[in-house]
Amino acid sequence: MDIVEVRDLTYKYPTSSDQVLRGVSLRVKKGEFCSIIGPNGAGKTTLCNAIRGLVPHFYKGDMQGEVLINGQSTMDVSLADLALSVGFVFQNPFTQISGIAKTVFGELAFGLENLGVEPDEIRRRVSRMLEVAKLQDLAERSPFEISGGQQQRVALASIIIMEPEILVIDEPTSQLDPQSTEEIFEIIQLMKMQGKTIILVEHKIDLVAQYSDHVVLIEDGSIVMDGSTDEILSDPAVLQHGTSLPQFALLGIEMRKRGYRLDKIPITEAQAVEQIGGYFTEKAVD
Amino acid sequence: MNKSEKSYVSSLYPITKLVFVACLIVSVFFLYNYIYDLVCFAAMVAIAASDGKGKAYIKTILKTIFILIVLIFLMQSFLHSGTHVLWHWGILTIHKEGIWYAINLSTTLLVIGGAIALLFKITEVEDLIHSLENSGMSPRATYVILSTLQIIPQMKMKSAVIMDAQRSRGVETEGNLMVRIKAFFPSLAPLVLSSIVGTEERAITLEARAFTANVKKTCLDMPQDSKHDKVLRIVLLVLLGILIVGRIILWIL
Ligand SMILES: Nc1ncnc2c1ncn2[C@@H]1O[C@H](COP(=O)(O)OP(=O)(O)OP(=O)(O)O)[C@@H](O)[C@H]1O
Ligand SMILES: [Mg+2]
Repeated sequence: MDIVEVRDLTYKYPTSSDQVLRGVSLRVKKGEFCSIIGPNGAGKTTLCNAIRGLVPHFYKGDMQGEVLINGQSTMDVSLADLALSVGFVFQNPFTQISGIAKTVFGELAFGLENLGVEPDEIRRRVSRMLEVAKLQDLAERSPFEISGGQQQRVALASIIIMEPEILVIDEPTSQLDPQSTEEIFEIIQLMKMQGKTIILVEHKIDLVAQYSDHVVLIEDGSIVMDGSTDEILSDPAVLQHGTSLPQFALLGIEMRKRGYRLDKIPITEAQAVEQIGGYFTEKAVD
Repeated sequence: MNKSEKSYVSSLYPITKLVFVACLIVSVFFLYNYIYDLVCFAAMVAIAASDGKGKAYIKTILKTIFILIVLIFLMQSFLHSGTHVLWHWGILTIHKEGIWYAINLSTTLLVIGGAIALLFKITEVEDLIHSLENSGMSPRATYVILSTLQIIPQMKMKSAVIMDAQRSRGVETEGNLMVRIKAFFPSLAPLVLSSIVGTEERAITLEARAFTANVKKTCLDMPQDSKHDKVLRIVLLVLLGILIVGRIILWIL
């Protein structure tokens, strides 16, 4: 059974004039890293809100179809209970700080305190999480007095520490520099290795190519492409939907156009080295 | 300040501080006497100072309540009529009664505003929330208190960001009072709007951290209530009781 299943979902915000999602269906397997891409305003965040249950519990509005988490409809589970299985991290680091804890340490502990975890266990888990997110040096600082990139790591760590099975992450790096972006992706990668299911919205397509297993392209509230990362991100059709392709895919497509025979279009640096590099060595041998 | 040397004030249980501040505010209504108000205010400054926060406290007061009080003082002294004219110019008249009324009202406001500001200078939000929950308040109620309290620091932080943005668009934000007032209004709309949006996202944040989950919470660093605190709270409430009863007896007689 798929851990997340969206069935023919149509949704309209109370204040939007048009439907924001139209007949969206999506399946995500357990342990899969699924990326959602598409132009601005396509409905990516709204889809995340639906998976997290904020649509329709928090935003109300008209919803048809259903979202199943582990086979159970989000309509039948309270937001607080859903939070235990679906962790949600969003774009703005500032509003993801609880505003209650005095220190970064306390910020990470906050969610566990609310769940009633034993103090010793909390301390153990927070120490481990500080290490994973490389936040040890900031443990005693106020969460408001650190940089945006550090705040985003704190936000991510505060959700991960609660050990949800599914992580929904909406453009976590859009306000961050390349270094901080890298750090966020390292943490996400680690979560994937621990078997978490990850649903990520991200515009940085090269990173999507590098990390995800499954890519979904949304445009105007409908899923227009859905498949494995290799399949979708090597398809020039993506360019027709207001979305870019990885630089290596563009190179590969251009090379094919000019008559170079490539077995497949590369989408990451590693694949490019294999495909194109191989081509040149073969040529050199000829 | 050295952290290991805890001041007396910071060793008190947050609820004790809350009771103190509440008693102070209630007492002001029953005495309604500007000398008492000023004594209270001096005491509050002294309390903040004993916790090493005197300067910061006065600064907060000057930046917030003080401006409001000056405005109210001016308005009340002009609006209140009486029989003893102190000053007269065109249609503007100040009566002696008006001045008295204005003095009493503004010192009362000074104590009320000052007491609330004091509470947040000498208490950490986290400790207050924990102790409120510990004394049986529901997470939803503490959440309402919390989000109200957070609006002010949030607005302060955001207004700095917005001022920056307006400056880069060529709006003058620094200089004399007039310049600042002119800069104030174009900054206001984005401030209010983004604060509302921010509140929504923060509600989601607290929800995501199981803040309202139906389980018994634990607490890593629970502020400790002591016998001393309990006695102090009783003394404060008894004093307030005596004051109220005394006042009522005086009214009846
Ligand atoms: N809270 C809301 N109320 C009403 N309409 C909304 C709300 N949030 C989003 N919308 C509308 O829904 C549509 C889809 O928005 P959404 O935020 O899901 O897009 P997105 O794909 O996440 O875009 P972006 O890449 O810019 O983040 C947009 O037309 C937007 O105006
Ligand atoms: Mg979005």
